Amino acid sequence: MMKKLLKFLSSMGFAITLLVVLAAACVAASFVTQGQSYEWYAQAYSDGAARLIVGLGLDDAFHSWWFLTVTVFLCGNLLLCNLIRLRPLIARYRREADPAAALSGPADVCCEGVADPLPLFEKLRLSQPKAHEIEGRKVLFVGKNRLGLWGPWVCHLGILLLIAGFTLGQLTHREYTVYGVPGDTKPIGDTGYFLTIDDFEVKLREDDTVEQYVAAITVFRAPQGSTAVPDSMSAAVSVNHPARLYGFKIYQNSTGFAARIRVDEAGTPLQTTVVCAGEGIEIADAPGLRVYLNAFYPDFYLQPGVRPMTRSGRMNNPAYLYSITYENSMVGMNYWQGSDGPIKVNDYTITFSEPQSYTLLQVKTDHFQELALLGGLITLLGLILAFYVLPVKVWATENTDGTWTVYGQSRKGGALFREAFDRAAGRDAVLTEKGAQT
Amino acid sequence: MTLSLEIILFYGVLGLYFGAMVLYFLFVAAKRERLGKAAVNVQTVGLLLHTAAIVLRGIVAGRLPLTNQYEFASAFSWGLCLVSLLFILKFRFTLLGAFSAPITFIIIGYAALQSKEIRSLMPALQSNWLGFHVSTAIIAYGAFGVSCVLGIIFLLRDKMKESGFLDQHIPSREKLDMLSYRSVSLGLLFLTFTIVTGAIWAERAWGSYWSWDPKETWSLVTWLVYATYLHLRIRRGWQGKSAAIFAVAGFACVIFTYIGVNTLLPGVHSYK
Ligand code: HEM
Repeated sequence: MMKKLLKFLSSMGFAITLLVVLAAACVAASFVTQGQSYEWYAQAYSDGAARLIVGLGLDDAFHSWWFLTVTVFLCGNLLLCNLIRLRPLIARYRREADPAAALSGPADVCCEGVADPLPLFEKLRLSQPKAHEIEGRKVLFVGKNRLGLWGPWVCHLGILLLIAGFTLGQLTHREYTVYGVPGDTKPIGDTGYFLTIDDFEVKLREDDTVEQYVAAITVFRAPQGSTAVPDSMSAAVSVNHPARLYGFKIYQNSTGFAARIRVDEAGTPLQTTVVCAGEGIEIADAPGLRVYLNAFYPDFYLQPGVRPMTRSGRMNNPAYLYSITYENSMVGMNYWQGSDGPIKVNDYTITFSEPQSYTLLQVKTDHFQELALLGGLITLLGLILAFYVLPVKVWATENTDGTWTVYGQSRKGGALFREAFDRAAGRDAVLTEKGAQT
Repeated sequence: MTLSLEIILFYGVLGLYFGAMVLYFLFVAAKRERLGKAAVNVQTVGLLLHTAAIVLRGIVAGRLPLTNQYEFASAFSWGLCLVSLLFILKFRFTLLGAFSAPITFIIIGYAALQSKEIRSLMPALQSNWLGFHVSTAIIAYGAFGVSCVLGIIFLLRDKMKESGFLDQHIPSREKLDMLSYRSVSLGLLFLTFTIVTGAIWAERAWGSYWSWDPKETWSLVTWLVYATYLHLRIRRGWQGKSAAIFAVAGFACVIFTYIGVNTLLPGVHSYK
């Protein structure tokens, strides 16, 4: 019973079923927008569809229990299959170079009555055959590319490592975001490390398009107890050029605008802070009263009937979109430009200045990323072995009349190998029935 | 000046591919060997000029010209033309051209409809990995295209009346099947390269090497479909007709991954 189950779980038939199920699951999931709420699906499709989607976990298909179950079965299947096939594969690998085994095994094609077999070996671009004496018969044998036999096994191993690396990475990776303007120092989550943004530059081309976002950063560990200057590491991070500092991989992820908000009360400065677009401050002595910087337009352009926009990334006509709330209810919202004069709210005057870009950095640790990459590379190696290192063996036995019979076998060469053999033989070779070797 | 030369070359190539297609059709209709040879020659000249056009665009743009719809469609038709010519010449199979040349022409025609403007690249697209990613995709797509064409020929072969000409120009069923298998393996190898290099690029550009974006998901579907094809061949001896149908269906997946995903499903690969 157990044996039967094991056989089924490791069988190729089961593997095919799993591959088809996995492909079908991916297709279904790709048509459903992932990660939305029940209400979202109900509105986008219908109530019934939303129930089905959420019920089946299609809203987060790639992390659903059934997707994970299929993947686990596939891994188990691959692992068992590779384990079971290892010993026979080693045996076959050895046999592939054994002329005696060739003699007793099947041949794909043969050619009889050959006076001198050596040119045939040459034409098939095989090395000089070795002479053997087997059961009193003279035998010439050459085999090549037997390493190719390992192709599928290596490919499957690679896939296993890839899935293992990906899954372990998903389970253990840590991800934080840090954003701010030059001069800011912020904690990297709860890791005990801090990140300082030393500089941030948006490099523009002449045509105003962005060439690169470059952040200069320093990472250091929080000083513990002592006042000594902590160890630190610095790097420049830009898109496509992440940095690795203290085991963290740091990516330049996105950017936006920030600006300084200044609040004065009856003509005297009260507070001033740099905030990123989307953020706000609470006015220090007026609890509940908040000022937000909603957006910033460096080259402001406003036309009736058209959404406000920026014409370029250059500071040609800066404008700020701000809002003011009291106890979370909107008091006002408008555009502001320096020439408008300060914004007045009760006794307070508010101004914006120092527009600048902030950077959003993604900080990650994934200790299994290299394992997944290794898996990918091994899979590639396996495919190259399976498809382009095709095992071929050709052997010739001497007949009593002094002529030779030459046999050829190529597990995957099929009709193409037979054709090449034919051409090398210079005449129609005799196709042997499977296993029929005279 | 140089840009317009590239566009002139491109339209020249379009004309040559069209000419090659017509010659292939005439070759089959008139059963004249010379027409077949002429078709192969015209297609080869087309491919060489196409290569020159792509290289020229790369020089003008100062980057690999593989980043927008026009550039990719043009490169896709280049890949299909290259792989089919390799099969035509290596396996002396001129008739293959009569089926692959129209697909090549349709794809380059699709490229002709796209904007040919050279735009500067957003930072995420400035990566050598992207270059490897797209170049390998071109070969993969080309190889899958050829396997689809071989599948179609296999299926039509049964319907065609036996004639000396066809017998001479269409390989045996067994050989057709083997060629289809060879092109699927070439495609799967390159698709795997595409996925691996794409993952490396995504990790560097977005900090995540696999995020189940629809294009990623569909490339995985294509990969699984062709892996299934290979296992079915081994397990159930699914060769011949069933394998031919599978090769055609597999290419439908490829086309969906290429066009359908960009137009029907949202994701980072639709640079809109
Ligand atoms: C993720 C999916 C998989 C991929 C991409 C894959 C890939 C491959 C490839 C490329 C080959 C060589 C085919 C050929 O040379 O024509 C192969 C063969 C094979 N695969 Fe898989 N495979 C996968 C999953 C599995 C699983 C789960 C099993 C479990 C039983 C399995 C069992 C086999 C066997 C028994 C062979 C034949 C090996 C031989 O001829 O020596 N495969 N596979």
